[in-house]
Amino acid sequence: MKKFVGYLFCIICLWFVFDRIGGTAMWWLNQRSLDSTSPKIREIVESVDADVVMMGTSRCNCHYVPSILQDTLGMTTYNAGIDGSDNIFAQYMALCYLLQRHKPKVLCLEVQNSFIEEEESAFCTTGFFAPYFGLNEKADNVFRLSGDYWLYQISHLYRFNTKVLANLTGQVKSHWYQNESGYLPKERPVVFPSPAHWGEEEVIVNETKVQYLKMFVDECRTNGIALCFVISPAYGIAEPSYYAQLHAFADSHNIPLLDYHTSGLFIDHQEYFKDCFHLWDEGARLYSSIFASDLKRILQLRR
Amino acid sequence: MLFNSKSFLLFFPIVCAVYFCIPSTRIRVRNMWLLVASYYFYMNWQPAYALLLLSSTVVTYLAALGMDHYKSLENKKMCLIGGIVFNLALLFLFKYYNFFSSNIEHVLQKTGLGIDIPDFHLLLPVGISFYTFQALGYSIDVYRGVAKVEKDFWTYALFVSFFPQLVAGPIERSNNLLPQFRQKHDFDVEAVMTGLKWMMWGYFLKLVLSDRCGIYVDAVFNNVEMHNGGSFLVAALLFTFQIYGDFAGYSLIAIGVARVLGFSLMENFHRPYLACTVGEFWHRWHISLSTWLKDYVYIPLGGSRVGRWRTYFNLLVTFIISGLWHGANWTFLCWGCLHGMILCLERALGCHKKVYHGINKYLHNIWTFILICVLWMLFRANSLTDFITIVKGIVTNAGFPYVQDVGWGVLIASFAAIGAVLVKDIAAEKQWFAFPADGWVCRLVQCTYIALLLAIISLFGVFGGNQFIYFQF
Repeated sequence: MKKFVGYLFCIICLWFVFDRIGGTAMWWLNQRSLDSTSPKIREIVESVDADVVMMGTSRCNCHYVPSILQDTLGMTTYNAGIDGSDNIFAQYMALCYLLQRHKPKVLCLEVQNSFIEEEESAFCTTGFFAPYFGLNEKADNVFRLSGDYWLYQISHLYRFNTKVLANLTGQVKSHWYQNESGYLPKERPVVFPSPAHWGEEEVIVNETKVQYLKMFVDECRTNGIALCFVISPAYGIAEPSYYAQLHAFADSHNIPLLDYHTSGLFIDHQEYFKDCFHLWDEGARLYSSIFASDLKRILQLRR
Repeated sequence: MLFNSKSFLLFFPIVCAVYFCIPSTRIRVRNMWLLVASYYFYMNWQPAYALLLLSSTVVTYLAALGMDHYKSLENKKMCLIGGIVFNLALLFLFKYYNFFSSNIEHVLQKTGLGIDIPDFHLLLPVGISFYTFQALGYSIDVYRGVAKVEKDFWTYALFVSFFPQLVAGPIERSNNLLPQFRQKHDFDVEAVMTGLKWMMWGYFLKLVLSDRCGIYVDAVFNNVEMHNGGSFLVAALLFTFQIYGDFAGYSLIAIGVARVLGFSLMENFHRPYLACTVGEFWHRWHISLSTWLKDYVYIPLGGSRVGRWRTYFNLLVTFIISGLWHGANWTFLCWGCLHGMILCLERALGCHKKVYHGINKYLHNIWTFILICVLWMLFRANSLTDFITIVKGIVTNAGFPYVQDVGWGVLIASFAAIGAVLVKDIAAEKQWFAFPADGWVCRLVQCTYIALLLAIISLFGVFGGNQFIYFQF
């Protein structure tokens, strides 16, 4: 048994050395990566100081052009949409990291049903924030909920598990647009998409997710931030009741919700879309100008 | 419970700690503990299905006792047939009934007889093909007189349900495993270290190689209409290694877990992609199933000691059964049949007797690998129609492989893992290096190997709790 304990001690020591050296190297790579999410998260944590912050998933990322919003609203704007972060936990974490350093005046959250509905892997993209583990207590609580807290606590390498491939390819190929304030334009597609139809299945609400959406709202209110929900256009028709739960949530919490998914301007215009759920640059610019006017009206009404 | 789940990381140390706390002389108590742990391991998935495992155990146990009790060959045969029929009926009901009923229904409809055969919507019990084959092997061995009957029910129950190999093999033989349950297993540091080493490499194969390749493979094979020939070729290559990493990884973890506890399970994979013929491939791939089919199907049919055409027939039947064993689908059946046909062809050309050297060896190796890859495409395709679409795509629609949503990172990481596995397999085959036999260098190398693999897995592993492919068989 003594011999085994010796072996075990040796393995743990060696692993600790590999883990810490590897973790430091991965942090270095993460700070230099130009993939589509690492620089965004880095800016949210370290440098965003805009008055208006747009938050959401890839739909937010490529739908809101900050320069257009800035011109209309007269306020600096940053697009903090993160590709693939299709759950409220990731959005909440992004908000916590942002509020730790800066309080914007206006925050728009591009909402979608995955923020409230039951899913198999609800926490899959919270790992994007794992490199910043230990920086914010509220964000760390999400890791506790996902069951990764102790693994991140023990292993520095594991903190980079979700981002490692993007960080490695991000050293060679840049997906980042330095001067676009977070906006990641999509290119014109070779073939325009066919219209989609979705929302036939019933939305089963997950109470934990709803609770986190409430916490998101509360964080904004506590910090005096004007919050607005948005649903941007999609090329296709959802069932009328598809977004009913989000509308009900917004109504009950007295949050304005700008719903563009049925907008006549976009519904018949496949030429604006990269795919059924994402506008390409031209569509995004048109949509941003419409959204900016509507947001300006809402903000004026508030005053 | 999956070997790559967090619950197993807790379960395994507890099982080991309690097992080694029980004095090694108290063999029966230790076995009872392992039996409880094994049933807990199985019941974690669907508690009710443990009754199937238990019923298979009870029936084969009683059948073997009957064979031991009766002197007349006829009575022995009746006991054997009873055990076989019960186990195969279980397997048929849960795994094949719907496949056969829907096909019979289809044929009847074509002939104008619209008979509606009811479907059973039953969940396939995990590992049913493995434990029924293991129990059947024991019954046949007892009947043949090659294995002694196990009179202690609890020891026999542990033989059928031993958790490391319960749900995905290796399909153990009674002569190898049963005697080990009667032996004293002292805590052996070297065995524990060897077991941990195998487990780590198994986890690497599963989490770093197989699950990473699976991301691309699923993206392509689940949407065959959307992809071109280039994507299919890359996906086929990746699936070849995905299934190897998945199954060889599981087997290695199983063998490693058993080794830590002091048991030796049979080797299940022996660098299969370095085979020079398809026949040799089957001597290296899923060895426990291949030898099971050889001993209990091929040889009883007459093996190769009959005429040439009869040998071919025996080979075909054996491989069709192998295909069906993998699943109730035409793709598996055709896959088994094609393997059988290639083996017949190799036998006709005398390839099975040839020993290849030099460049000839490499050429045969590459040719065999390509053949295996093509057949894996059939294995992975969701239906025969999908397979035809894939072949059409490769022949008529060449193009750059799909990368967009999956990303270069996944492809690069998959090929890097494949490279690492190939280098390790080739180095082992050529015996380029070996672990130092003894001394502090040996210990340091072993510890470094385990620690390094642990670090690599924590960085590059895919931790989605993905099931092992072979669980469905």
